Amino acid sequence: MTTLWNKPEISRREFFEKCAEAGAKTFVFGGLVVTTANLLLAQDPEDVRARAEGAVESRLHDTGLGDVRARAEGAPKEAAKGPIYGFVVDTMKCIGCGSCVRACRDENNVPDGFCRTWVEQYTFFPNGEVIVNSPSGGADGFGEDLPSRNMPEELGQLPVRGFFVPKLCNHCINTPCIQVCPVGASYVTREGVVLIDQERCIGCGYCVQACPFGSRYINPQTNTADKCTWCYHRITKGMVPACVQACPAKARIFGSVSDPNSEISQILANNRVQVLKSYLGTNPRTRYIGLDSEVM
Amino acid sequence: MNSARHFIRLLALLAIAAAAFFKARSMVVPADFGKLGHFRASAITDAAAREPRHLGSVTCAECHSEISDPWSKGKHSVPQCENCHGPGMLHVKVVSEDSVDAYPDPIKQNKNALRPTTGIRECEWCHLKTFERPSTLKSIKSVGEHITATGGTFTPASKCTDCHNPHTTAVK
Ligand code: SF4
Ligand code: SF4
Repeated sequence: MTTLWNKPEISRREFFEKCAEAGAKTFVFGGLVVTTANLLLAQDPEDVRARAEGAVESRLHDTGLGDVRARAEGAPKEAAKGPIYGFVVDTMKCIGCGSCVRACRDENNVPDGFCRTWVEQYTFFPNGEVIVNSPSGGADGFGEDLPSRNMPEELGQLPVRGFFVPKLCNHCINTPCIQVCPVGASYVTREGVVLIDQERCIGCGYCVQACPFGSRYINPQTNTADKCTWCYHRITKGMVPACVQACPAKARIFGSVSDPNSEISQILANNRVQVLKSYLGTNPRTRYIGLDSEVM
Repeated sequence: MNSARHFIRLLALLAIAAAAFFKARSMVVPADFGKLGHFRASAITDAAAREPRHLGSVTCAECHSEISDPWSKGKHSVPQCENCHGPGMLHVKVVSEDSVDAYPDPIKQNKNALRPTTGIRECEWCHLKTFERPSTLKSIKSVGEHITATGGTFTPASKCTDCHNPHTTAVK
């Protein structure tokens, strides 16, 4: 039998033609096999059910209810592995002093014009107009260019309602920001903290665009992506993040959600909490008390 | 068997390319990449290594009890010292090592390596009246108005700390 291998003489051109033909056949056949297998698998009712159950399971954990369930079972399994961290922002308590923004800047060397955490001021007028303001992220406080001071003449009305909303990286469980990183510089630690490897980051900015909350920026000093780390260098030393320590209104609460006795677990158990942009399904670990539906 | 040499050449080329790829990869990708996930495992220890700059009022109290004792009993015991005075880490270093020359100019100018306070801006951060602030918080419309309303004389040089002890809020 004459095969390609033992054929007496074959030109290089003929050889490559044969190789290409064999490759194409493998590709088509392989594609058929994979497609058939996928179709068969997808129709397996057991598999579909198992997958649906898996989804329910992970949702339980993701919303923090898993922690509550672990407590009910009397065995906080997560606690054995070390803490899982969470953050609560109580918008009802925030007085808009900006201490958190200043503390964050000083602690983390945040360059001018950027913020890892910032405070937004929401002012509502009777005609339905909502003004959202955050001069220097709130670092200089609120007052000078305050809507409630300057706007009434223009609108001819006094505001009817208003509040402050502090914001920071949500340390999402389903992070779009990690997914898009081409070099593996964005990652999540076992404690649930989303971090950036400053050595590996190439500053492409994909994650800055991917984050739907505007939490990331490219640091002009390092040319790498930067964002809130929940002060990872502090929390690993048993301290609280700088903003939490600075807040005079106790509007920011940080702690271990895997410890049922921690302050934050008690707050999560006894309050109705919300997350920002829940419809995006990023599943933030930063949760809010008193989040208004107007807050974006 | 003549055509076998085509295979051998092709395989040799592939082997060289593969060797080059793995060599290049081992040079670019850190050894501990992928140990804990799709990232460099030692990045975690790098991130944790940085030095905290805010020490908390407990640390300040170690040297400044004459201020922190009344502070902790007064109405201002919730805001931390560092909220107004800036982070204390450098201050502790400069004071304990007496080496202010080693630090950049702005710090040298302000010898104690703390943020200079104005006695008015720090107060306004919390106590200026804005519509969004809770009404339970003591706030004033402006310093001028407050001084006039309380029977004082306002000058452009007037400060909150002219009348109030900022650490306890008590009127002097
Ligand atoms: S808030 Fe943005 S940067 Fe933070 S984890 Fe979520 S997607 Fe990533
Ligand atoms: S420090 Fe607290 S009260 Fe002040 S702006 Fe930040 S969150 Fe609000």
